[in-house]
Amino acid sequence: MTDRNEILRYLGFRGKPADERTLQTMESCLAELEQAVTPRSIHRGFPVAFSGGAVTVGGLRIESVDLARHISGCGEAVLFAATLGARADFLLERAAKADMSRAVVMQACAAALTESVCDEFQRKIAREAAKRGLYLRPRYSPGYGDFSIRYQRDLLNILDCRKIGLSMTEDFMLVPTKSVTAVIGLTKEKTSCHIAKCMECRSLDCPFRKE
Amino acid sequence: MGILEDLGKRLLFFDGGMGTLLQENGLPPGELPELWNLTRPKVIFDIHSQYRKAGADILKTNTFGANAIKLRGSGHSPEEIISAAVGIAKKAAGGALVAMDIGPTGKLLKPLGDLAFEDAVAVFSEAAQAGKKAGADLILIETMSDTYECKAAVLAAKQTGLPVFATVVADEEGKLLTGGDLPAAVALLEGLQVDALGLNCGFGPEQMKRLVPRLLECCSFPVILNPNAGLPRSEEGKTVFDVGPEKFSAAMEELARDGVWILGGCCGTTPDYIAALVKRCAKIPPKPIGRKNRTVVSSFAKAVVFGEKPVLIGERINPTGKPKLKQALRDNDMDYLLREGIAQQQKGAHILDVNVGLPEIDERTLLPHAVSEIQSVVDLPLQIDTSDPTAMEASMRIYNGKPLINSVNGKKESMEAVFPLVKKYGGVVIALTLDENGIPETAEGRYKIAERIVKTAAQYGIPRTDIIVDTLVMTISAGQENAAVTLEALRMVRERLGVLTSLGVSNISFGLPHREHINAAFFLMALQNGLDAAIVNPGSEEMMDTYFAYCALSGKDEKCMAYIDRYSAQKAAPAPAPGELSLSGAVTGGLKESARAAAHSLLKTQEPLDIINSELIPALDRVGRDFEKGVLFLPQLLMSAEAAKAAFEEIRASMGREANRSKKEKIILATVKGDIHDIGKNIVKVLLENYGYDVIDLGKDVPPETVVDAAEKDGVKLVGLSALMTTTVANMADTIRLLREKIPACRVMVGGAVLTPEYAKQIGADFYAKDAMASVHYAQELFANAGGQA
Repeated sequence: MTDRNEILRYLGFRGKPADERTLQTMESCLAELEQAVTPRSIHRGFPVAFSGGAVTVGGLRIESVDLARHISGCGEAVLFAATLGARADFLLERAAKADMSRAVVMQACAAALTESVCDEFQRKIAREAAKRGLYLRPRYSPGYGDFSIRYQRDLLNILDCRKIGLSMTEDFMLVPTKSVTAVIGLTKEKTSCHIAKCMECRSLDCPFRKE
Repeated sequence: MGILEDLGKRLLFFDGGMGTLLQENGLPPGELPELWNLTRPKVIFDIHSQYRKAGADILKTNTFGANAIKLRGSGHSPEEIISAAVGIAKKAAGGALVAMDIGPTGKLLKPLGDLAFEDAVAVFSEAAQAGKKAGADLILIETMSDTYECKAAVLAAKQTGLPVFATVVADEEGKLLTGGDLPAAVALLEGLQVDALGLNCGFGPEQMKRLVPRLLECCSFPVILNPNAGLPRSEEGKTVFDVGPEKFSAAMEELARDGVWILGGCCGTTPDYIAALVKRCAKIPPKPIGRKNRTVVSSFAKAVVFGEKPVLIGERINPTGKPKLKQALRDNDMDYLLREGIAQQQKGAHILDVNVGLPEIDERTLLPHAVSEIQSVVDLPLQIDTSDPTAMEASMRIYNGKPLINSVNGKKESMEAVFPLVKKYGGVVIALTLDENGIPETAEGRYKIAERIVKTAAQYGIPRTDIIVDTLVMTISAGQENAAVTLEALRMVRERLGVLTSLGVSNISFGLPHREHINAAFFLMALQNGLDAAIVNPGSEEMMDTYFAYCALSGKDEKCMAYIDRYSAQKAAPAPAPGELSLSGAVTGGLKESARAAAHSLLKTQEPLDIINSELIPALDRVGRDFEKGVLFLPQLLMSAEAAKAAFEEIRASMGREANRSKKEKIILATVKGDIHDIGKNIVKVLLENYGYDVIDLGKDVPPETVVDAAEKDGVKLVGLSALMTTTVANMADTIRLLREKIPACRVMVGGAVLTPEYAKQIGADFYAKDAMASVHYAQELFANAGGQA
């Protein structure tokens, strides 16, 4: 279930009540998106090794103190990718040409839908992990903290993301745009999965930051 | 080269998977399998040999990713690897054929990604030519999940002259990853004249059983099937598949009996699978395919079939008689075209006509540009409408799908220009019944021309199913018999020639008052005479009413569902009577139609400029202030902006062309190179336009040079740049640097998620716009100081 409050937060309402038309547009955009998109994901688990400020997962050495801290204590990690697919970008592009007010709502809906779709896929990974007594840390993506988005290339290669239609541009942007790649640490501690993502992030002035 | 002769006489067998076997031989994840052609040729040779021994007729070379994009940084060229790979396969072939294997580039093509279509063609050409040079017998394009990339690969492969096979990967619903369905993919590939087509990878033969009937139903070409060994699952870090050789070959046998001619395997299949497959299926005689006699065009998403239900071709993107569109084309206002396209789709068009022919416009550049822009927001097939063969070819080449072409006629010159294009790129072509002697007055005369066109097309190898005849509508105000002649010719073409028909219906009423009455009546008469497609305005209620009523009455609308769907909803929501609200009330409330209506009635008593200055701008200011105070939010701000825009359109329409051209300050907006997220820029654009600025929108992923060239060309004093990612802010800095160097007087404002005022200063921007309203204020301040008027 896509989080309506999250969508309104993306749109800048910040807890203030939204007007009726925005709410209607939101529902209509969500319906249009959900009907049209086919979300896909791919993931693969690997052992994790730490050395200094770097983490090695699946033969990939990632220089990132923040990632290392984020998954510290994890013996394994899952490399994860998910996308709403090309159709979402098509609908966003179309809305931007036809009606910008709808386009911004659609954009927010697509962003929230991406999150909820990732959560959904992640629940499956959590179930598999639970069988082995392991719990998931929150997703940590290239671009967070000092985890450079230049690692997109390696993540896409290792996961063979072509299979879910996920690629990137020369400047490491994921395409289709409504997509996520992430490292998910697996740990034996049960409490670890409740850290709000925003509290981990160092972008204090981010407009989307949760209070 | 016997393969094409063997096709249809016996079943042919591909080999199976390569990657799985390489992994078993120790290929680590992330390493390029193609490098093993150079480093471990013996392993590759052994795999080929085992497949040959298992009975494969065709061996796929280990070149799936051997293209310039995937090999970048590997230290090896595609040619080096392909030449080695083909060499190994040939050595192991022992009488089998060697298929140069071409997989996707791994990148997404524009507009979704950043790989240009022609760049993709060049990448595939390099690989295909290397394959041919090394002695491959045919080219297999496989695992394509995007029809557009597949088209680029096929065009490149066809250049070699070798036979070309192409297979796509679909999901269990029969959709490609980019959203296209099987009939659309088949239409495209058959149009491009591949030698065989089909499916590979994705899943196993069991799942393919659901898709193969759908494929065979619409396919007139030999069908290939290379499935996986079932569905993959992860077992202790290794990928394993759930179907063994026996089950695999049993399922494949059913599909062979259904009509698949070329069978093999993909991921997870091994020589054991192929041996079992050959053993079980070798004796099965190929089931004849049979031409499907379908007339079909496609977009990247879907196919439209003619001859079942009448097809509506939207006529609104054609400047003839449309002053607003003419102006938009002269101003290079592509958004206007796109909105027309989207609106026609919403109103029920099945195909859109695209014509940008104006004397002062370079159609050869603009038509392909318009076609590709429209395809980025409309998923209907398009009708490429031009009399310039060069513009036609450029557009057909970059079109994603199998287009409708408007048009060819009975003139020798026309047929010689158009038919080779249809043969090369695929398409259904509208044939006009006129020739060197003009338009025959009699139905018989027009029929004769249609017959000649169909015959000539056949000489080019174009079947009559790829032709739709237009028996030409001429106004009854010039001749009472005109309607009758057209309809008689139409019947003759359908009955005697067995070819489908189309008409530009509304020409019938030219020169008469209230044209829509005549148009609708004539449309109905034509439908009753068997018309298969009509070029109409889907915005015309009367035409659409006629269409829906006709379909319901003629049994072409099952259970009248489409009719009920359209008309029962209409009563449910009565529109609020427009015009009741004041203009400023409509703008504040974000009500588009009310704003338009209010502007319309104000124009009766007030001067356009007064309305703008005393009503519109104050209303916008009020909304802007409320937004800045946090009383109103972005969606509401933009609803108001859209309402204001509608009012502006109404007001501008009433001003003379000269007044419209009066000096509006120009502002360039661009999302910088490398950045493809442009929603922020689009928001700024809407608001700046509201405040009367002439925004030159350069789009997204814009190189610094393009920004500077545009600014120089129009003497622009303000450039707005947006960037979303830290990586692309560097490109923003480059753009600013180049602007400073070439046009020191030009001001630059910047915005985007990762920017801050400090960061903006650091990269040399004049102003950091924290939101869209801030950019409006900056522009107002700048132009006020410069002595201009906003």
